[in-house]
Amino acid sequence: MKFKYIGFFIALLCTAVSFGQIKIKGTVKDKANVPIPGVNVIIKGTSSSAATDFDGNYVLNVPNKNAQIEFTFVGFTTKLETIGDRTEINVILEESSQTLDEIVVVGYAAVKKSDVTSSISSVKGKELQTMTVGNVTESLQGKVAGVQVTGQGGPGAQPRVLIRGISTLNLNTDPLYVVDGIPMGTSINFLSNNEIESMEVLKDASASAIYGSRASNGVILITTKKGKEGKTRFTFDLSSGMQIMNNPYNMADAEGYATIMNKAYNNSGYSDYLPNPSQYRGKTTDWWKEGIRKGTPVTNASLGISGGSDKHTFGISLNYYNSESIYGIGGWERVTMRIANDFKFSDKFKAGITLNPRYETWGAPGNWADFDKIDPITPIYKPADQLNGTENEYSIYARSPSYVWNPVAAVNRYDDYTDKYNLNTNGYLQYEPIKGLVIRTQASIEVGDEVRNSFTPDFVIDAAHEKQEINNVQKWNTTNVDWTWQNTITYSKTFAEKHNASLMIGNTMEEYNGNNLWGYGEGVPNNSDSMRELNAATKNKDSKGNSWSSSLMSYISRFSYNYDGKYYFTGTFRRDGSSKFMTNNKWANFPSASVSWRILNEGFMESAKDVVSDLRLRAGWGKVGNQGLPDAVYQSNIGQGYYVIGGEVVDTSYPSSMANKDIKWETVEDMSFGLDFGFFKNRISGSLEYYKKQTNDMLFLKQFPTYSGFPGYSTMWTNVGSMQSSGIDLLLSYKDKKGDFSYGVDLTFTTVNVKMLTLSADGEKLYGSGNRTLTVKGDEPGYFYGYVADGLFQNQTELNSHTDEHGTKLQPYAQVGDVRFKDVNGDGKIDEKDRTKIGSPWADYNVGLNLNFGYKNFDLVANFYSSIGNDIVNQNISDLYNGASLTNKVSGLEQMAWHGEGTSNSIPRLSKDDNNENFTKFSSLYVEDGSFVRMKNLQLGYTFNNKFGLDKLRISLSGQNLWTWTKYTGVDPEVAGGDPDKGDRVKGSGFGGWNYPVQPTILMGLNVAF
Amino acid sequence: MKKNVFLFFLALFGILLTGCQNNESGFPSSDNPTVVVSTKEIYGAPSRKFEIKAALADDLGLKSVQIQIPELSLDKTISFATNPLLESYDLSYFFEVPANRGTSEAFKIKLIVTDVSGNVVNEEINLRLDGEFAAPSISMITPKEGAVILLSTSNDMPVNFVVNDDSGIDYIQIKCEELGIDETVQLDGAPHSYTFNKTYKLPVTAANYVLTITAKDKFTIPNTGSININIVATNEYPAIYLCDQPKGTNLTTDAVGVPMYFHEKTGQDFEFKYYADKDNKEIYFLGQESDFAPHCFGLNASNELIDDVASTPIILPTKGYYKIKVNPNTLKYTAEKYTPSSKVWADVANGLWHDDAAQRKPFVSVCGGGIQGATWDTWDAWTQKGLHLANNASNPYQLVGEYTLTGTMEATFTGQWWDPSWRLIKNGIATMSPGENGNAKYSAAPGVYKVVLDTELERVFITKK
Repeated sequence: MKFKYIGFFIALLCTAVSFGQIKIKGTVKDKANVPIPGVNVIIKGTSSSAATDFDGNYVLNVPNKNAQIEFTFVGFTTKLETIGDRTEINVILEESSQTLDEIVVVGYAAVKKSDVTSSISSVKGKELQTMTVGNVTESLQGKVAGVQVTGQGGPGAQPRVLIRGISTLNLNTDPLYVVDGIPMGTSINFLSNNEIESMEVLKDASASAIYGSRASNGVILITTKKGKEGKTRFTFDLSSGMQIMNNPYNMADAEGYATIMNKAYNNSGYSDYLPNPSQYRGKTTDWWKEGIRKGTPVTNASLGISGGSDKHTFGISLNYYNSESIYGIGGWERVTMRIANDFKFSDKFKAGITLNPRYETWGAPGNWADFDKIDPITPIYKPADQLNGTENEYSIYARSPSYVWNPVAAVNRYDDYTDKYNLNTNGYLQYEPIKGLVIRTQASIEVGDEVRNSFTPDFVIDAAHEKQEINNVQKWNTTNVDWTWQNTITYSKTFAEKHNASLMIGNTMEEYNGNNLWGYGEGVPNNSDSMRELNAATKNKDSKGNSWSSSLMSYISRFSYNYDGKYYFTGTFRRDGSSKFMTNNKWANFPSASVSWRILNEGFMESAKDVVSDLRLRAGWGKVGNQGLPDAVYQSNIGQGYYVIGGEVVDTSYPSSMANKDIKWETVEDMSFGLDFGFFKNRISGSLEYYKKQTNDMLFLKQFPTYSGFPGYSTMWTNVGSMQSSGIDLLLSYKDKKGDFSYGVDLTFTTVNVKMLTLSADGEKLYGSGNRTLTVKGDEPGYFYGYVADGLFQNQTELNSHTDEHGTKLQPYAQVGDVRFKDVNGDGKIDEKDRTKIGSPWADYNVGLNLNFGYKNFDLVANFYSSIGNDIVNQNISDLYNGASLTNKVSGLEQMAWHGEGTSNSIPRLSKDDNNENFTKFSSLYVEDGSFVRMKNLQLGYTFNNKFGLDKLRISLSGQNLWTWTKYTGVDPEVAGGDPDKGDRVKGSGFGGWNYPVQPTILMGLNVAF
Repeated sequence: MKKNVFLFFLALFGILLTGCQNNESGFPSSDNPTVVVSTKEIYGAPSRKFEIKAALADDLGLKSVQIQIPELSLDKTISFATNPLLESYDLSYFFEVPANRGTSEAFKIKLIVTDVSGNVVNEEINLRLDGEFAAPSISMITPKEGAVILLSTSNDMPVNFVVNDDSGIDYIQIKCEELGIDETVQLDGAPHSYTFNKTYKLPVTAANYVLTITAKDKFTIPNTGSININIVATNEYPAIYLCDQPKGTNLTTDAVGVPMYFHEKTGQDFEFKYYADKDNKEIYFLGQESDFAPHCFGLNASNELIDDVASTPIILPTKGYYKIKVNPNTLKYTAEKYTPSSKVWADVANGLWHDDAAQRKPFVSVCGGGIQGATWDTWDAWTQKGLHLANNASNPYQLVGEYTLTGTMEATFTGQWWDPSWRLIKNGIATMSPGENGNAKYSAAPGVYKVVLDTELERVFITKK
């Protein structure tokens, strides 16, 4: 009975306690009004807690009105609410970009940001999605310190991405892209920015060495969006607008052209080329207006569905991108789909599969320069009296005496389009038999087919100069099947509470297979669309085909350890075996080590924690490689070509390349030191890093010496030379919130210094880009090499004094107004030996400035990017200012060019003959300051939350590349590398010409979630 | 005593201060440099270079020499290296007097020599532009270069020429070793013009002669001019040319082909193949290449062939190809129209001809020298589109174009890989491959020329535009 009383008393107490509690409920959402499942809702100072369900809802009993509830979730700022009289508390959590608990992908693993010991920068997908670009790497511009992105205009163009400068001279400089753990090569044109959850840039070797032989240019890890637990959610993102194509030059009209050309002829002693220029007044052919569209549409759209339970999540997105060309035909169109399913069978088993079908089509003429270069007097079409009615539709166009092919006709003839179909399947299976031990296997297969069709119709615009007597049809088909399989075992354990260790070992296998087929035929009976098939060709049919394969097998491992969150160590080791190398060097090892000291967690920092939110020193070392040379360099090859035998030219074979059995990887050894810091609750944060890396055993394609007996064209890959690059990366961030107003500033600063340490022989000179660049030991690679243009001869006295000591003219054909070339070596003559360094394509530093502001439901983003201290060769100077050619010139050139003392010191006099070689000698006349500051993006948005039956509706207006400051007078200061097929990727950097400009773009955006 | 002490210190500080003065040149003081000019008066002339010569020296080292003629826009500084120091320098500086200056003008040439200590010495030289440097000009009236003297008609060789010189003619000399002519005419009073006219007798045997005429003027530094005239004395014509230009036309302005060299010769029967590009084409036959005189074969009033500079042209009635035969001795000729049967190469220029090599990119261009853009590399012939010949729309046997000649030219007209090709040998003959060897060189004044390659005639005509 006594126990009954006791039981009753306890029950009564419980009831009383229960009666004293307050039931609180509510919903937790993010800023975009999306419910967040799994948020930890805890009564501060107690162990009582609850978690939000799929819809972000929670219910919690709190003891009294004074209790405080804390809402915490990874990646979001913790929020604290006092109960007061409320029974329903709805919370909006804000994402944190500096949370140290944030998960960072590091290659074959993901770790907490606080545990990262090497140089890794993260960019969230949301930041990338503020811009509408075909290639998502363009959005990276200015956002990551140490990453230099040079934009390329044109639909489907791929920007040049350099991570901490260059580490190779002859191979590709693009980083390795790894999408969801699968290496995908050096281009991610196939990815929509709406598919990306986050990007991690592995900048130093201690971070990237786990990718071994392909990591010397850095690695960019991309994590795509997956399904999230919670109710099914639909999103629709659309941005659509116009790309603006302004004529970069104000070209002369017909009368102006005649005046300019007459002056050029007269200055050379000839009579007028086009007498009485006024007769052409009002008769200008406006080629640009006729053939180039000022505005071309661009659209980026994504439809997404995601959701799931704790057993299964799914994310499906359908993405569409379309950028039309400026010619009114062609462009680039991409449709991709990503279907991601993740399954949790039990606490021990997980699996997932992602399907990624893609379709791309592209093709557009490339002759926009001709619309400026063709003379403005020639009409577009032949006059009626020059037509006899038998011409086909491509032969009715007029021929220009300027020798520029009629660009309107060329666009009309254009028929060269490529379709690409790909399917990528990526799946994994993960097993965790005991806590901390994860066994994972992942496999991916990529199947692709690329079909290019081309047709060149027959036409005769001018029988001597502009014609195609027989039409031809061509077809290329390239198929690839690539697969990857990787297996890892990871064991993580904490010992004695303070020793945290993790060990991962694994292996990977990759194989890349491809084949191509080309068909050619001539004499298709007519030019109609239906006849544009190889089967319709009647003459000169030809075909070629080839196949290739390469594979890579690797063993990987990583060991991480930290003591009490203060002292960190990470070591990685990768052993790569590549089919590209022969037995002697088939396998190579790529180790790395990095340490970090999180000073903040030291006892002596306790008193400073109000001010210092993060303080950490890092140091890393590693070796990475570059195997980006052709697949079968171990083979000797026979080439076909014409050769003189016994005085007769014969079509024959010759040894074109010889195998080098000792060929091996280019190896880059890298050291870096970093300081990460955060102050005032990370309102101010950033990192400062210094790095130095050295490339050894550089791969060169060398010719044989003549005494070897091989023809001059024969080549062999060999490992010679070394180079070094060093620099500083700085990231500074500031963010704050005052009431409804929030703002943030990110500043990135990048410097790169590159120099050649050794070449294959002392004193060796490596020329590039048609002998216009030089690479020598002790200097930066690919610097501009030419004559020094020392202004113009302003008067006869200056001209007369430009002699050697005996009065012999250094430039015998020069006249007043011509370029004065400097006798650099002072030997009394102007010759090859006077060529010297006249500029550098490499920037002294790059700066990015990213601003974001928020006020209530408004948001504003502005991104700026600049490149300072680099030079650009403006190759268009010859086209625009040289009177020797009959192409059109810039308007008013007769006044801009030198026409009397003091009238110009940079644009030579107009001359038909150019006997002084003002324009044919490559000189500093062509070299301009290539520095620029560009406003990459300006976007204003407004968000409606819970309106119109939608969770979220955001509308935005943005402008991309609206403003650029530069002294460069060419088309666009964003000028990348040269032709990689000619080995000029590095040695031909910085040559601007009629490169397709990065276009200003105006866009409207719509983001819907429900 | 105090005063002496004061003066001592004043002097001491004065010396010290002097010693402490910054010597900007960085070299100790030295004697003035010396300049010894080779002449105090230099003769020059418009468009002509003269030489300034002087010996410069300095006991320590020369720094620079400045040469100034402000009126002629000359202000040249020659700086000398100072490591090691240069103690002497032989100045030899050439300068061309501008063409627009008058011969009566005179100027001062100023030499400013500076040594490394900062000493400066000036020297002046007189420059006169009334110098005469042109050799006497000799204008041949007869015989002209390449003249043919038909011995069967006459063995007289009239020699008639005019000599002109600005400073006056000292003497003239006529020499021909084979004919034993060595005649000097010393002129009194140094006339500015002199006409020589004398007839020499030739042996009756056929031979070639070289007549050398020399003239010397009377300037302070005498100038001598000389020309060689090649003469053919023959009993029969070595060649006959077909000329379709009106009388009086300068027949030396073309580069190749005018007048046209015969195709076949049997004795004195000459045969031409010729394309009349229009109806009623007028032609003559010439006994020499460069002039209508002395042997010009045309028609008399009776429509008979005569050798007379005053004759009227032979008329080919209609446009087309002709075979023309002429005998200058019998004074008979025939002109017969014919239809060519040789291969038409128009398709090559059209880009159509590639039956034999599937991937051939047909064109007809030129390789050679003295033609702007042309080299002996067929790659250049292909890529230099301006060198490509086009079809003559009215004659499928002719390929036409326009070249800029830069001087003495030689050429082979070629398709891809020399197939087909026409080598331009002597006498304007474009021999089709394999043909004859030996590209001939033709002198041509720089300029733009019209080019006609006639594949039927195997001839090239390159005439000033």
